[in-house]
Amino acid sequence: MFRTEEMDINMGPQHPSTHGVLRLKLTLDGESITDMRPVIGYLHRGVEKLCEHRTFPMIEPLTDRLDYVAAISENLGYCGAVEKAMGVVVPPRAQYIRVILAELQRIASHLLWLGTHALDLGAMSVFFYTFRERELILDLFEAFCGARLTYNSMRIGGLLEDVPAGWLDRVRHFITIFPGREKEYEDLLTVNRIFVGRTKDVGVLAPQDAIALGVSGPSLRGSGVDYDVRRAQPYSSYEQFEFDVPLGRQGDTYDRYLVRMEEMRQSCRIIRQALDRLPEGEVRAKVPKYIKPPAGEVYHVVESPRGEQGFHIVTSGGEMPYRMRFRSPSFVNLQALPSMCKGQLVADVVAVIGSIDIVLGDVDR
Amino acid sequence: MTDDPNNQPPASPSAGSPPAPAAPPASSAAAPPAPAAPAAPAAPKADPLKAKVESRAVDLLHERFADQVVEVLYHAGDALVRLRKDRFLEIARMLRDDQELRFDYLSNLTAVHWPQRPQPFEMVYHLFSITKRHRLTLKMDLGEGEEAPTASVIWPTANWHEREVFDLFGIRFSGHPDLTRILMTDEWVGHPLRKDYPLEGKPEDHLQYREVTTAQHVYTYEKSPIRGFGWKKEIEKTGVGKG
Repeated sequence: MFRTEEMDINMGPQHPSTHGVLRLKLTLDGESITDMRPVIGYLHRGVEKLCEHRTFPMIEPLTDRLDYVAAISENLGYCGAVEKAMGVVVPPRAQYIRVILAELQRIASHLLWLGTHALDLGAMSVFFYTFRERELILDLFEAFCGARLTYNSMRIGGLLEDVPAGWLDRVRHFITIFPGREKEYEDLLTVNRIFVGRTKDVGVLAPQDAIALGVSGPSLRGSGVDYDVRRAQPYSSYEQFEFDVPLGRQGDTYDRYLVRMEEMRQSCRIIRQALDRLPEGEVRAKVPKYIKPPAGEVYHVVESPRGEQGFHIVTSGGEMPYRMRFRSPSFVNLQALPSMCKGQLVADVVAVIGSIDIVLGDVDR
Repeated sequence: MTDDPNNQPPASPSAGSPPAPAAPPASSAAAPPAPAAPAAPAAPKADPLKAKVESRAVDLLHERFADQVVEVLYHAGDALVRLRKDRFLEIARMLRDDQELRFDYLSNLTAVHWPQRPQPFEMVYHLFSITKRHRLTLKMDLGEGEEAPTASVIWPTANWHEREVFDLFGIRFSGHPDLTRILMTDEWVGHPLRKDYPLEGKPEDHLQYREVTTAQHVYTYEKSPIRGFGWKKEIEKTGVGKG
């Protein structure tokens, strides 16, 4: 007779599939997972504490370092929260340019996710294709603000400067060529038997569990729950754009893949509308030299590529926040990982981690 | 400083009037947790940031749990309800299950440390309803060492949020399934987001808490050779907040 017993095994903190320093304590029965406990905090930098000792404009570069593959979304949310606390109305041109930047960032972030997710599952070539287009977007950002990863591109009240000459034409060129490029990724993956076999019915998350666990973003919509902050509570004039919110049916890894692919197409659609209707005018509202929101507190939410990105600011009337809290979607989505992985095989954990698209800088803050 | 027109938010119409937010309970650190009416009674023109917003949830809470509602605040279009601790879970369950409200999504849970209040900790719950698409903020005051009821029995997502609050503030949650540190290591001493925790140096280098006007709520180092970010220098230069 063979003796069977459960085995504990560590996955990470140095493991290529965790995209950062995430440690998973797995309890295995043979190859299947009976229990999982994520251990996080390896990248904790105490950003919330640092924010209490910095003036409001000084905090924006810190937000870049949270979700470093979607820094524009963080900038947008942070500036929006401070503007809400001060009652500042951003000029329409700045709002539209912010939307263009945020949607380009969403495409860039999804491209990074797609390349690495496919790489984790053994499809090496997708990575080269997606990074080809991501590079184009990073070039656009570099032309706009000079940085390729941590942009610090927005200012409280709008933008620092208008877009450079010819930049809008480059954006239009990008969204013209992009749908064809996305078709190439789809050809490589969507009906690929190995990819479908590795993702279909893997890591199923039921809609009621997803809501209870606070999952947001494409991971929530993959389970068929219709909640997109851009649609539910529009900010930065998102209510003026037409776009669809793609929903999955089963809530498995494959559905989350399809949702993100469709989101990239919808982002192109939003950018095209924003380019067509871009208003003229100022790009920055008149804000005081010293940013001092009146005492009170605000909670402002934006839809980052990973989900609901919340900014809770308690102000005391001074030039620094009294308390700053970042509600990061990666942190909350990661909490749902054990319930998605139980009963699956060890190799599936790699697929599921990839499909919830966490960024460890955002998880640990 | 407050009547300097440069410091007024541009949207505020009361530019020349005395300090616009008339006694907002969030700013006065020593305010008891049960102040009077939320709206400023004497202000000639109401601050648009403090404008009242219609909220069915607030009305229902007043209707059903009138004795549990300490105060209702409005800020920047949000409704904030401060509740007593006693029947918090019952109210939370009502908010989640009521067909009219259906706050099924706990968006965020956090805490704020107000060292000078009699009840120094404030729990903050940001609720959202995915079907009804409305928001509500709940608050609850806690004394030093007081335990809060865990919200993870109602919204399982509160599990990690509460672990984080325990880790960074030291607030304990009764009934929590797994109350361990989450961001700091298990053997860490102290709770970093408390206001009396140093920004730099070792936790045992205690800091002096001071209220200053140029840079409010800044800690200055007494023992540590490291000086923060020039704030100490600024305080020495202006003399504000000394002694």
